[in-house]
Amino acid sequence: MARFSATSADGVCVVAVDGDLDLAAVDEFLETARSASAGCSALEVDLDRLSFVDSSGLGALLRLRQETTERDVGLRLVNMPAAADRLFRITGLLDLFDISSRQA
Amino acid sequence: MADLDDDALPKPRRRGPRHPWRFVAAICVTGLALTLLSSWAAARADRNTEERLLEVQTKQAAAVLSTTVLIIQQPLRTTLAAQAAAPAAERAAFQHVMSVQVGDGETSLFVAASLWRRTDDGFRLVASRGSDPWLVPRSEQTGAILERALTSPTSVVDRLQRGERARIIYALADPTTGFVVLTERTIRDDRRSRVESDSAFSGIHYAIYLGHRTDLDSLTTTDVDPADLPLDGLTSRAEVPFGDTVLTVVTEPRYHLGSSLSQRLPLILFIGGLVLTAAAALVAFRLLWARAGAEANTATITSLYERVDTLYEEQRALSVRLQRSLLPHAHPRIPGMEVASQYVAGARGVDIGGDWYSAIPVGDDGFAFVVGDVSGHGVDAVAVMAQARFTLRAYLLDGHAPEQALEKCSRQLDIMQDEHMTTAVVGVGDTRTGEVRLASAGHPPPVLVADGRAELVETRTGPPLGIGPASYRSVTVRLDAGATLLLYTDGLVERRGESIDVGLERLCDAVRALGNEPVDALVGDGVSSLRHQDASDDIAVLALRRTP
Repeated sequence: MARFSATSADGVCVVAVDGDLDLAAVDEFLETARSASAGCSALEVDLDRLSFVDSSGLGALLRLRQETTERDVGLRLVNMPAAADRLFRITGLLDLFDISSRQA
Repeated sequence: MADLDDDALPKPRRRGPRHPWRFVAAICVTGLALTLLSSWAAARADRNTEERLLEVQTKQAAAVLSTTVLIIQQPLRTTLAAQAAAPAAERAAFQHVMSVQVGDGETSLFVAASLWRRTDDGFRLVASRGSDPWLVPRSEQTGAILERALTSPTSVVDRLQRGERARIIYALADPTTGFVVLTERTIRDDRRSRVESDSAFSGIHYAIYLGHRTDLDSLTTTDVDPADLPLDGLTSRAEVPFGDTVLTVVTEPRYHLGSSLSQRLPLILFIGGLVLTAAAALVAFRLLWARAGAEANTATITSLYERVDTLYEEQRALSVRLQRSLLPHAHPRIPGMEVASQYVAGARGVDIGGDWYSAIPVGDDGFAFVVGDVSGHGVDAVAVMAQARFTLRAYLLDGHAPEQALEKCSRQLDIMQDEHMTTAVVGVGDTRTGEVRLASAGHPPPVLVADGRAELVETRTGPPLGIGPASYRSVTVRLDAGATLLLYTDGLVERRGESIDVGLERLCDAVRALGNEPVDALVGDGVSSLRHQDASDDIAVLALRRTP
């Protein structure tokens, strides 16, 4: 099970993902991210505690990217774990997101 | 889809207690029985207490009455004693004593008194006081009483009646001297006597009778209307010696003698018991009602679940049929190529996935192939898969390069609308040269198996399909005779808790060992060795080998 928490500071909203971002979790993730990013100029998705992401999770991030682009909200994926970074590379998503990797 | 109409649902069955009313009635009967029993026990205990208290009060009253008897008898004893001490004085002692005791009967003890002495032929009246003696000389009645007195060791007490009026006669004799004292005491016509609030009789009604009998004729004093006698209900009785007879006292409590709680307890228990019984019956009734309702609901819900299960089964069967219909049962013949494929459904239960593969002959010497994956599950995912599959197939049949096919297909998909991410790897090859151009839209890289080696093809992948304008690039690999190109979906390599690189390496190792097997075996064995038992994701695998 995944847990999501939303915080905000200085117009930047942060949604932290804790657990698996998979088919079972994408709806709740999108809902959390949508409500968290309302009224923010930038949205950060903190993937520091992301344990697993599957194609549904990637799809959810892509949909979030489309939505934030339409609303002119900056989207940034922060603390990307190495495994997810690799998956993003394999699936051609690396260039689509503003990504900062997890600090070693 | 089957329709979910009400008629299809079995009617809820009532499986509650067969006779809920009997159950409630049993509670009522038990409760009432307990209530009556406890009330009766409390009332009985209260009555016992009352009887005991009344007995005590009656004894007190009798004691007081004994004192009164002594007071009445005392003047007679005093007179006789004085007469005996001075027989010659004759009347002096009598007159002295009785002067204070004889009067109107209201404030004095007696209304008349007389002193008699036995003579040889009868009794001689020595002296008398009082205005209206009923016992007069030479009457038979007087003689009889005087005789009785002389033979009785105690005083003689009797009752005289004249019409409604009555008197009590006291006679005491001294056999030694032959003196007999007679006194008469009135009994009030109505027999009523006031009761002092602090007297021994204050808490009780009483009736005092002369003798053992308790009829109206024997009544001397009472505090109630004689018409209401005899006392009934809870009564007590005591006898006080009085001369040669007795005074019988019958009492009845004027009010409750014990504590008020003891008196009210039976009623309290009765009312409380009724309330408790009613409450218990009500609760039982409601519980039974709720239970019956719950069971009815359970029956409904169970049948609904069964119905929903059936619907899920139907939906799943439909989805599986849809998916299977979209996957080729047999691949078209492609000259110079051996094609094998496998689709494995995930251990997920109801929903099916959106994985697919295609192998398409193009022209005389060409062929094309696709392996794709629509994220998510269910009919929606399968629908997106169908759209992507036929779109790509159409472009590839039309002779488009793989990167062009992907680009055009991507424009026709919209992740925002479809809500599913679609990845695909597309290849177009030439059977004569073995050259294959590959382009990938976010799909895991194919594996090239040749000469005992198995390597991932660096596809320079572009983004998944349907996320806006995108351009793709292709790479070219060369399939030598006997070389195999293996394409798959991520279910084959992805496992929770490990990097996809580990899965890719495991894949390469597995197919490297199977490189010399027939292409069908390579696919079958590869999938069975790599597939994780609990994998939830579907797996689609397509292998193309250039005929050796």
